[in-house]
Amino acid sequence: MTVPYSLRLSLQRLFGEIWINLLSILTIAAGLFIVSLSFIPVYNLDVVAKKLPDKFSMIVYLDNSLNRNDINQVVNSLKKNKEVNSIRYISKDEALKELKSTLRDSTFIFEGLDENPLPDSLEIKLRRDAVDPNAVREFSEKAARIDGITEINYGEKFLSTIYYLKVGLQTLGTIFIIIMSAGIIFVCYSTVKILFYRRKEEIETFKLLGASKGFIRTPFLIEGAFIGGSGGTLSLIGIYLFSYIVFFRLADKVPIFKSVAIPENLFLSLPLVGILLGITGAVIALGRLKY
Amino acid sequence: MIEFFDVTKEYNNQTALRNITFSIEKGEMVFVTGTSGSGKTTLLKLIYLAEKPDKGEISVAGWETEKLKESSIPLLRRNVGIVFQDFRLLNNRNVFENVALVLRIRNMNEKDIRTKVYHSLKTVNLRHKSDSVPEALSGGEQQRVVIARAIVAEPTLLLADEPTGNLDVDTAAGIMRIFNEINAKGTTVLIATHNRELFKNTGRRVLRLDSGNLVGEEAE
Ligand SMILES: Nc1ncnc2c1ncn2[C@@H]1O[C@H](COP(=O)(O)OP(=O)(O)OP(=O)(O)O)[C@@H](O)[C@H]1O
Ligand SMILES: [Mg+2]
Repeated sequence: MTVPYSLRLSLQRLFGEIWINLLSILTIAAGLFIVSLSFIPVYNLDVVAKKLPDKFSMIVYLDNSLNRNDINQVVNSLKKNKEVNSIRYISKDEALKELKSTLRDSTFIFEGLDENPLPDSLEIKLRRDAVDPNAVREFSEKAARIDGITEINYGEKFLSTIYYLKVGLQTLGTIFIIIMSAGIIFVCYSTVKILFYRRKEEIETFKLLGASKGFIRTPFLIEGAFIGGSGGTLSLIGIYLFSYIVFFRLADKVPIFKSVAIPENLFLSLPLVGILLGITGAVIALGRLKY
Repeated sequence: MIEFFDVTKEYNNQTALRNITFSIEKGEMVFVTGTSGSGKTTLLKLIYLAEKPDKGEISVAGWETEKLKESSIPLLRRNVGIVFQDFRLLNNRNVFENVALVLRIRNMNEKDIRTKVYHSLKTVNLRHKSDSVPEALSGGEQQRVVIARAIVAEPTLLLADEPTGNLDVDTAAGIMRIFNEINAKGTTVLIATHNRELFKNTGRRVLRLDSGNLVGEEAE
């Protein structure tokens, strides 16, 4: 019986103090909306950053004097490293063909070239988790010691960019989420605290009539959950409207918006996030009820 | 049912009750009397734990209040029906809900709540006012709502602080009849009043307070 009555009580209070509650709901909605909005670029950068390791490869140039057997030996000793995902052999002829096709419009460069100046090479793809600046440097130092390898090439700049992008995004995202959650919890806290103080007399009467702590607290928790949940739902509606307008309407005019990904499933959890933050705020506001 | 041993209560160094010792048996009906400010309300508040004594020991319905855990205070209060001197009615709900609150706190089901609340309101002749807000009632009507709320859960102990303060002689007599009936069914009743008419010639015990001192407890 307690829960339905508590529910009725909290609904009465919610609508009885509609303005303060509406204000809190709007504040929370705005907060969650801003978090969600700034999450879109973070999310997109993250999607890109996740794909980058697949694009990363190292080129190992081989000594010209190696025969097939020697090359196989080099490949085998490279494969012994657990960082290696796959190795592709590129003969000097293939390399030249590739180069020619890339420079299709400038074939004059190759005129008068009777001998292929390119060495044989190996293209190494590393495992996803091995693509970070330190691991790659260690690996290349190790690889350089293998007989028959003359030179190792990889995009160091590219590599550290991926890495710092990833770390930076994570840190920035975490800090941002912590600050915003704290803000939202504070809004719920203040709302419930205000509701609580406005009802001080009533709560005192409840206590004198024999109400338990749970009986007194439950309506406030429901109110916190309701305020947080409404704020979350409102921000969800807001973010949908916003992304509809920006990414579908404006995409015709500004093509870059077409490729923007929206983490829809993540946003669907906004009401739930709101509820949790609301309850947290209420719990902190009520603290330890004393008799 | 109630035992006070050498109880002293001070408010900011001003003594409201001094070295009070008395006891009330289960099933008794007892009065507390004295002039305004003599400590009647304070004595009742010590019983329902709205105040703590500065000295001495109090036990209520077998609970030693000093040793009572915080979480057990609601349990003790659920055995006690209280007519507050300042009413403590809630104006954000109607008369029915004010009385029903006591039962909701005790997790009673909706059907029983309706039966008991209407029965209790009928006892004080206010069945027809159940949809009104307390604010919209006369002082005497409000007082009777408070009485209905105090008896609705059939408490083992009834504490009434000036229960007839706002009532005419006839209505007051009606309320005293209700208290006598409840007492006859086994509820211990303690009534604080400065109205001698209530206990004159009843043969009930009367605790007399004078500036915080217990100066007599003989029947009148
Ligand atoms: N909360 C309080 N803070 C300070 N002093 C108080 C408080 N409550 C009561 N007092 C003082 O304690 C004394 C006893 O008060 P109490 O309310 O018990 O008197 P009473 O007998 O009930 O009076 P009345 O007949 O007017 O209701 C008074 O002097 C009063 O001023
Ligand atoms: Mg008094």
